[in-house]
Amino acid sequence: MALLTLEDITKTYKQGELLVHALQGIHLNVEEGEFVALVGPSGSGKTTLLNIIGGLDTPSAGTAQLQGTDIAKLKEVERSDFRLFELGFVFQAYNLVPVLSALENVELVMVLQGLSAAESRQRAEHYLQLVGLEKEQQRRPSALSGGQQQRVAVARALAAGPRLVLADEPTANLDSENAGALLDLMHQLSHEEKTTFIFSTHDERVMARAERIITLQDGKIISDVRTNKHD
Amino acid sequence: MHTRSQTHTSRQLPMLFFIAWRNIWRNPIRSVLTISALASGLIMVVFYSAMMEGMLRQMVYQATAISTGHIQIHRQAYIDDQDMYATFPWPWLDAIERDVPGINVAPRLYASGLASTTESSTGVMLKAVDPKREPTVTKMLTQVRSGTLNLGLASDSAEGLPRFYVVVGAQLAKNMHLIPGSELILVTQAADGSVGNGLFVVSAILKPLSPNFDRMGVLMSILAYQQLMVLDGGFHELAIHVEDAEHMQAAEALLVHNIDKRNQAQPLDDLGGKAVLRNWRTLSPMISDMLEMSKTINFIVGFIVICLASMGMLNTMLMAVHERSHEFGILIAIGMKRRWLLLMVMLESLLLALVSALVGVIIGISGISAFGERGIDLSGTMPDGYDWGGLVFEPYMQLYIDPINILSACVLMVVITLLAAVIPAWRTVRLDPAEVMR
Ligand SMILES: Nc1ncnc2c1ncn2[C@@H]1O[C@H](COP(=O)(O)OP(=O)(O)OP(=O)(O)O)[C@@H](O)[C@H]1O
Ligand SMILES: [Mg+2]
Repeated sequence: MALLTLEDITKTYKQGELLVHALQGIHLNVEEGEFVALVGPSGSGKTTLLNIIGGLDTPSAGTAQLQGTDIAKLKEVERSDFRLFELGFVFQAYNLVPVLSALENVELVMVLQGLSAAESRQRAEHYLQLVGLEKEQQRRPSALSGGQQQRVAVARALAAGPRLVLADEPTANLDSENAGALLDLMHQLSHEEKTTFIFSTHDERVMARAERIITLQDGKIISDVRTNKHD
Repeated sequence: MHTRSQTHTSRQLPMLFFIAWRNIWRNPIRSVLTISALASGLIMVVFYSAMMEGMLRQMVYQATAISTGHIQIHRQAYIDDQDMYATFPWPWLDAIERDVPGINVAPRLYASGLASTTESSTGVMLKAVDPKREPTVTKMLTQVRSGTLNLGLASDSAEGLPRFYVVVGAQLAKNMHLIPGSELILVTQAADGSVGNGLFVVSAILKPLSPNFDRMGVLMSILAYQQLMVLDGGFHELAIHVEDAEHMQAAEALLVHNIDKRNQAQPLDDLGGKAVLRNWRTLSPMISDMLEMSKTINFIVGFIVICLASMGMLNTMLMAVHERSHEFGILIAIGMKRRWLLLMVMLESLLLALVSALVGVIIGISGISAFGERGIDLSGTMPDGYDWGGLVFEPYMQLYIDPINILSACVLMVVITLLAAVIPAWRTVRLDPAEVMR
């Protein structure tokens, strides 16, 4: 069974009198361990799709299932727990709680999961080391570069031990060098941690690092290609 | 799916506290202003209640210590129509003091009469006290405005009759042009039906003990009274001072019991009626009412001031929550439950309120203490003190810190600010993460 199964997902927003068809009949399976790029022009529906998978938005029709769990059918509290235990999130920018250090930001999710303080600390240190920020762990987000902040967000997403990490334009605020480095890091960790990643991007060079590229246009999948990229 | 994180809220709470605390200092100027507003409100409330409490205590002191005492005993007929014959027998005096521990007693006698000088005459109220016992119960005999207090013998008259000193109220003295050394003729209806009269010498003028005494009071010794009135069978009033004023009820109960016992052993005559015991609350119902009312007024004033101050808190938290909507959206996305977020915002308000309470109490108490024991000194503007509600006050406003009052003000503030914080906190519950991060 696929990790993620989307069946005929439709999302229509109402904007006054106008109906915006953000997604129109999306069918998609993602297997465990895949490293997937979601690409397409602005307004094609990438964020909408990621939000539906992440349980931050509900589809107008169709079902999204993660290992048999129908995400839209979860109650509010269950959905919260679903995101806490099953998913990791990396957003475009300002991912971190400004009043917490890098280390505390990573610890936060594990503390919310109910892990002991000691275990959270240990895991957080480990993941900050994996993203190369062991020296910066006491710094607040304001004292980190944009690329470093995104790496902390990746560490936070992985430290929680999710099945699936969703990243909506994680490199949009980075220069191409940092963007490439972040993607390489995500790719590497995806393999090491055997974690599935779905990320959206505009950047050609970024999408080149994906193993599978799904292209959206006007809310429809217009291409779905697997590259033979295996490190 | 079952909710796995629910069982562990104890583990998340410290983290929520920690973030809430850090969030307060995120915008230090705003927080300091909020704390200042709340603390100022609290200081005002603390100050106001200290002033009220001080005034009430002065009032109670005035009511009890100056002339009333804590408890008084009369006979029913005396209460009803000042029946001159409704007295307690003298042996009761020592017996009561002996049998009831922790009290002092002072007997008093009253009568009305006519006072005349060469210039004028006026109706007066005669009050007789025991110069030895009275000071153990009240400070009446220390309330001298001019002259030197003396209730003893002045000189013998030409006919060889003893002539006593008396003390008069200030207003009476003014009306009759009396000064220490003035002579005064008192005429009354004596107990044996004859006309009692005598010449007295004013030794001193008293500060107002009560408005009545001030206008028509003539104070004399019991000995002088007995000679004038030909009434030596007993006394009208027993004023009692309870050493441990906090346990007045116990003393009252003992007294009632003792009087019953005494009445059985040596019954009072029927005409004078039974012995009636009243404490100062019953004797000064106005003060007693005022004590009760001031609690309500205190509360209302505190409530209004704190409500106004907590508007600052409401504004601060609304702004804070608004500014952080993106951050809260992220937190919800990564699995923070909305009730934890709500808790976090409430904790932030709670911490702000607690810091404000601490600051307010410290500044309030040290400010009050700075005025010292006597409180605010008004002797510059009112050297004679002031009179209010039928009572005369010393020219200073005592400030009294009542821990219960302060604690209730703090609790009131915390509760009100938390109520105010519910509005911003509730916004986090309705936050749509997809919306705020768009
Ligand atoms: N809340 C909303 N209300 C109305 N229309 C919306 C809403 N959210 C998204 N849309 C519309 O749905 C469409 C898809 O938007 P979406 O944000 O998913 O695109 P995107 O591919 O992420 O674009 P970008 O690359 O610019 O981030 C757009 O036409 C957008 O205007
Ligand atoms: Mg988008």
